Amino acid sequence: MPNGTVSVIKIRDILLVTVPSDPDDITVSELQEQVLYAMERHSAKGLILDISTVETVDSFFARTISETVKMVALMGGLSVLSGMRACVAVTTTQLGLTFEQTLTALDVDRAMDMLSVAMDDKGDSA
Amino acid sequence: MNTLCQGEMLIDTENDIVMARKSVREAAVTLGFGVTDVTRIVTAASELTRNIYVYAGSGIMRWHSINDSNVGLELVFEDKGPGIIDVKLAMEPGYSTGKGLGMGLPGTKRLMDEMDVLSEIGKGTTIRIRKWLRQ
Repeated sequence: MPNGTVSVIKIRDILLVTVPSDPDDITVSELQEQVLYAMERHSAKGLILDISTVETVDSFFARTISETVKMVALMGGLSVLSGMRACVAVTTTQLGLTFEQTLTALDVDRAMDMLSVAMDDKGDSA
Repeated sequence: MNTLCQGEMLIDTENDIVMARKSVREAAVTLGFGVTDVTRIVTAASELTRNIYVYAGSGIMRWHSINDSNVGLELVFEDKGPGIIDVKLAMEPGYSTGKGLGMGLPGTKRLMDEMDVLSEIGKGTTIRIRKWLRQ
């Protein structure tokens, strides 16, 4: 995937967003808006942010991702951050980034499972 | 062997942050750092070049390998920006004058082995960070 290209795919009620490996700040900011409008357009209930190719997560990237998760929640959507690489997990934690209140999964498969379960539960109680 | 790798680049636009990450990654990989240390060093460079861009507008990043009794990589970030009013305070987690999280400087220090901050109000800031290659 060319750098700077954010892929947004809709699968049933879920949006799968693949973050490019080394995005610049503008791409990261645009990703946030792109995701929110796609949630609205597709009436999506869930979001998977796949960062499995991302090699550097700095404080700007982390803040934008955390914000996006909160914004999606305001729109009634549930987000899962998937595929964080080991070296990135070590680095973001030591940098002091917590990703509080963000659901995470090892890969997209498990993120899909998590969202399916959560969305079914919601459906039952309604 | 004393100049195994070195370079410098101007940090002037947002895209220079991406270019800085690429250059630093290449240097760290060339020196033989493992994937986790490479990620630490690149992330530190990303934080400090963004600081230059956000707070000073422009500046310079230099890097060179250290090849004495210890092998390592040193990065220097220099700007002629407003300077840091209280360096000690800026090194405290959670402190920020800008739109950041206040993670940049203390976080960067945790990622690296050594970090020196020299700053003078109205003159600018020079930050030197080092990572040693463990063998």
